[in-house]
Amino acid sequence: MALDTFERSAPPIFRQGLSTTTKLVLLSLLSLVLMAADHRLQISQPLRAGVAVALSPLQWLSLQPGRLWGVIDNYLGNVESARDAALSFETKTIAQAQRLQQVEQLRQENDSLRQLLELRTNVGGPSKAVEVLYDTADPYTRRVVVDRGHLMGIITGSAVIDAAGVVGQVTRVYPLVSEVTLLTDRQQSIPVINARTGARHVVNGNPMAAGGPLELKFVPSGTDMQKGDLLTTSGIDGIYPAGLHVGRISQIDRRVDASFATVHAEPTAIKRGRHLLVLLPVKDWPARPVAEQTQTTQPKKKSTQPSPQGLNVTGGTP
Amino acid sequence: MIMPAGRHLLLPANPRFIGLTLVLALVLHMLLGLWDQHWVPDVLAITLVFWVVHQPRRVGLVLAFVMGLMVDVHESALLGQNALSYVVLCGLAAASQRRMLWFPLGEQALQILPLFIAASLVEWLTRLLTHDTWPSWSMLLVPLLQAGLWPLIGALLLAPQRRAFERDDIRPL
Repeated sequence: MALDTFERSAPPIFRQGLSTTTKLVLLSLLSLVLMAADHRLQISQPLRAGVAVALSPLQWLSLQPGRLWGVIDNYLGNVESARDAALSFETKTIAQAQRLQQVEQLRQENDSLRQLLELRTNVGGPSKAVEVLYDTADPYTRRVVVDRGHLMGIITGSAVIDAAGVVGQVTRVYPLVSEVTLLTDRQQSIPVINARTGARHVVNGNPMAAGGPLELKFVPSGTDMQKGDLLTTSGIDGIYPAGLHVGRISQIDRRVDASFATVHAEPTAIKRGRHLLVLLPVKDWPARPVAEQTQTTQPKKKSTQPSPQGLNVTGGTP
Repeated sequence: MIMPAGRHLLLPANPRFIGLTLVLALVLHMLLGLWDQHWVPDVLAITLVFWVVHQPRRVGLVLAFVMGLMVDVHESALLGQNALSYVVLCGLAAASQRRMLWFPLGEQALQILPLFIAASLVEWLTRLLTHDTWPSWSMLLVPLLQAGLWPLIGALLLAPQRRAFERDDIRPL
C-alpha cells in the first residue's frame, strides 16, 4: 500500500495488468503513430470529429465566462461609444453608397462584355455567415474556430472573408464547428494579383516576420511594386473568388546580391473580427489540361498554347 | 505502514470527485487557452500528475493519453502531440510516485519540476520536428509556473480527504 495515500483497497495479486513502463512505451508509440497519421497521411479526421463532438459541451461551458463578460461589458458600456459607432457606420454606408449603386451596372456591363468576348462568366457561390468562437490555443498556428460545421453545410476549402477582406480558408470541418486557418498561418498561401500593375504573386503567411504577417514569395527584384499597393485575389485557384482584398504592401526589401526581393504585406481583414462570411466553393472550373499532351508538346507550342490561367481575365478592384 | 511522524491519515478519495476535478481542470485549461499568452501554465497537467501520484491505481497513463487527445482536438494541434507529452509526464510521475509521497507539498514542487521540464521538452521537440519553428522564449516559464502552482492545487485537491473520518455534528471541525 502506498504511503500516505488514501487508497484503501488492497491491490490485486495476480491480475496486475500491464506494467507502467509497458504502458508508457505502448502509449508513446501510439501517439507517435497518430501524429504521423495526422501529419503525413491526414487520415485521423474521423477520430478528431468524434472527440470534437464529445468535447463540445465542455467547450461551450468554457466559452460562457467570456460571453458573460461580453454581455456585462455591453450592458455597462457607454451609450456615447455606441452612438459613435452607429454614426461611423452611417457615414461609411453613405460613402460606399455610390460605389454600391454603380456595382450593379458595372456587373451587368461586365457580364454582357464577357458574353460578347465568349469568356467564362463569373459565378458567385452561396455563402454562410459564421461567428468566431475562439482562437485556438496552439501558439504555433493561426487558426480560429467558428460556430458552424458540416451539419450546416460548411465544406472544407471554402474561402472565409470579413467586411474588409479575405480572412483565410476552412481547413477542418467537424459536425458542429469548423476550423479556419488564417492567411497569416505559416502553412497558408493564397494567389493574388497586384491591383495597380496586374502582376500575379503568391502570398504566404509568416506571423513572426517584422515587415508584415504576409510574405510575397519569389518576386523578381525588378518587379514594379510600391509600398501601399493593394493585393486582391486573382481567382485562378478556383477557391477564392476574384477581386477580394487581401492586403497592402508594407515593406519591400530589394538587395543587390539577391535575384528576388523580400516583400511583406499587411492583411486588410479586421484583426480579431467576430463575424465572418464563408464563401462555399463553386464547382465550375475548366478541366485540367492533360498531362502527357502538355509534356510532349511543350517545347514546340510553348508560346502559342493558351494557359488555363489566361482564360480568366479578371482581378483588380471592382 | 510506515509514515513520517505528524502526518494525518487521509480519507479515501471519491472516484466521482477525481473525475469531477479532471473535467473541471480540462474546462479551466480551455478557458485559460482563450487568453492569448504563451506562458499560461497547464492546469490539466498538474491535476493529472497529482492524481497519478496520489491515486496511481485509479488515474493512469491511459486516462492521461485520452485527456491529451482531447486537448489536441481542442487546440487543433497535431493529433497525439499533447497526448505524448502527458503520457511521458504521467509515466515519470508514476515512476517517482513512492519517493514523492515522503515529502510535504512544498518540497514535492521541487521534485515535480524536472518532470514538467521533461514534458515541455517532449512537446517542444515534436513542434520543432513537425512545424519547424522555435518555441517562444516565454514558454520556458511554463514548467516553473506549473511547479509553483503544485502546492496550491495539491492543497485544494487534498482538502476533501482531510475531513474528519466520523462527522461530529456537535463539533463540526
